Amino acid sequence: MDLIEVLVLVVSFIILLGIGLPIAFSIAIAATLTLLISVPAMATLTTVAQRMATGLDSFTLLAIPFFILAGQLMNSGGIARRLIDFARALVGALPGGLAFVNIVANMLFGAISGSAVASASAIGGAMGPRMEKEGYDKAYSAAVNISSATTGLIIPPSNTLIVFSLASGGVSIAALFMAGYLPGLLIGALLMLTAGIIAKKRNYPRGEKASFAETARTLVAALPSLLMLVVVIGGIVNGLFTATEASAIAVLYSACLAAAYREVSLKHIKPLLLDTIKTTSIVLFLVATSIALSWVMAYENIPQSITNVLLTISDNPIIILLIINVILLGVGIFMDMTPAVLIFTPIFLPVVVATGMDPVHFGIMMILNLCIGLCTPPVGSVLFVGCSVAKIKIQSVIKPLLPLFITMLVGLMLVTFIPEISLVLPRALGLID
Amino acid sequence: MSNTPHSQSKGIALHRFLNHILEPFLVTAISVLVLVVLWQVFSRYVLQSPSTATDEVARFLLMWLTLLGAAWVVGQRGHLAIDLLSDKLSQGKALWLERVLICLMALFTFAVLIVGGINLVHVTLRLAQSSTVLQVPMGYVYLALPVSGLFMLGFCLCAFIESKDKHHVSAQES
Repeated sequence: MDLIEVLVLVVSFIILLGIGLPIAFSIAIAATLTLLISVPAMATLTTVAQRMATGLDSFTLLAIPFFILAGQLMNSGGIARRLIDFARALVGALPGGLAFVNIVANMLFGAISGSAVASASAIGGAMGPRMEKEGYDKAYSAAVNISSATTGLIIPPSNTLIVFSLASGGVSIAALFMAGYLPGLLIGALLMLTAGIIAKKRNYPRGEKASFAETARTLVAALPSLLMLVVVIGGIVNGLFTATEASAIAVLYSACLAAAYREVSLKHIKPLLLDTIKTTSIVLFLVATSIALSWVMAYENIPQSITNVLLTISDNPIIILLIINVILLGVGIFMDMTPAVLIFTPIFLPVVVATGMDPVHFGIMMILNLCIGLCTPPVGSVLFVGCSVAKIKIQSVIKPLLPLFITMLVGLMLVTFIPEISLVLPRALGLID
Repeated sequence: MSNTPHSQSKGIALHRFLNHILEPFLVTAISVLVLVVLWQVFSRYVLQSPSTATDEVARFLLMWLTLLGAAWVVGQRGHLAIDLLSDKLSQGKALWLERVLICLMALFTFAVLIVGGINLVHVTLRLAQSSTVLQVPMGYVYLALPVSGLFMLGFCLCAFIESKDKHHVSAQES
C-alpha cells in the first residue's frame, strides 16, 4: 500500500461528501480515483463497473427489497395501533407509562417492519399526540421515540445484519438473527430504565393498570402481526428456508394481513411498490458502490495495513475494541449504516478475529454502534424523521437525547465486553460453536 | 416563470418520458421477483422438485431493478446526501453548487456506467461467458450498467435544466 492511495481515497471522499454529492456517488468516485493511480484508465472504469454489477449479483441481497416491501405493507396505521394497545396493556401502568409504551411498541414494530425510520414515524406519529395530551414534554417524547426506534435494527429480522453477513463473507444469518435478540432487548430495557427515572423526576402520570381480560384481548389483536416474526425467524433458524425465501414469505404474509385488515386496497399497490423500489434502489445502489470501494481497498492492501497498524498500537483486545468502537461512532455520525457496514467490516473483522472475537459477536457490536449514529446530526435519518413527526426542531431534541445516548453507549459497552449477551442464544441452538 | 416556458417544458417533458418508461418496468420487476422466489419455495416443498432456474432469474432481475431504480431515484432526488453546505449558501450560490453536483454525477455516470459498462459487456461477450443454469450470455446481463447510465444521464439533464430555470427566476426576482 502506498500512502498516496489512502490519501486520495480519504480526501476525495470527504470533499465530495462535504459539498453534498450523494453518498453513493461519493463512494464510487473516490473508488475510481484511487484505482486510477495504479491501473490504466479503461481497465479502472471497467473494473469499477464490473464490481458494482457483480456486487449486486447475489441471492442473499434479495431479502432486502422483500423485507422493505413487507415493512411497507405492515406500515399502515392498524398494525402500529394494535401493537401500541398491546404494549400499553403490558407496561402502561408504570410511572411515565407512555414512555414505556413507546419503547416497547418501537421494539415490536421495529422488529416486524425491520426499519428504524418506519418505526420512528409510525409509532412516534401515534404516540406523540397521546403523550402531549397527558402532559409529557414534546422534546422528551421525541427523544424516547428516536432512541428506541433503532432497537428494531438489532431485533430480527434485520436487513443490516443481512448486509453484515454479506460483507463478512458469509457469517450465518440464522446465527446473527438469534444473536440480535438479547442485545436488542437489553438496549430497550436500559432505555426504559433511563426514561423511567426521568419520568419519575418529572412526575409524569401512570396509566391505568390493564386487567387480565384487557391484556388478553390486546394480545389476540396483535397476534397476527407478531406471528409473522415466528414464521420468518422460526423458518430461518430451523433451516426450512433461506433468509431470502423467508423474506418473500413475509411479503405474502403481510399482504394477506393488509388485505384482511382492509387497509391496503388495489389503488395503493402501485405507490406502495414505487416507495419500496425507491428505498431498495437507494440502499442497494449504496451496496453496489460500497462493494466496489471495498474491492479497490482490498486490491490496494489497505485493510491489511490497517490491521497491522492497529495490532502494533496494542495487542490487548480490550484496547483494540475500544479503538474500533470510537472509530465506528465517528463513522456512524457521517455515514449511513449500509455503506459503513460494507466498507468497515472487511477492515476490522480480521483484526478482531485475530484477537479471538467471534464474527457474530462483532456484527452485533458493529450494528449497535452504528445505531447511535442514526440518532445524531448531520446524517441521522431516524433523528430527522422522529423530529418531523413530532413537529419539533432538531436543536430542541438534542438535550433530552443526551441521557438516552449515554444509556445506549453503556449498552454498547456491555455488549462489546460481555460476548455471552450476543452468543448465548445462537450457541444454545447449535448455530455456532 | 413566464420567460422560460420553452426550456422548462422541455425538462419536465423529458422527465415524464423517462418515468413513463421506467416505472412500469420497475413495478413489474419487483412483482415478478416476489413471485419467482415464492415459486422457488413452493416448488421445493409442494412439488418436491426444486426449481434450478429461479435463483439465476432472481439475481439478474435484481441487478436490473437496482441499477435502473438507482437512475429513477436520481430523477426523484432521493439519493442520500449531506446538504449542510448548500443550506449555508445564498440562493444563487446554492444553485451553482447544485449544477456542479449534477455535472459530477453525470461525469461518473458517463465514465463508469456507460464507458466502463459497455467495455465490460464487450469483453464478456467476446469471452463468451454464460450463466451456469440458463446459459444466458453474461454480457447481456451486464447491459444493465450502460442502460441505467443512459437513463441516469437523462435525469441529470432534466435536473440541470430545472436548476437553470430556477436560476432565471431568482435572477429576475432580485
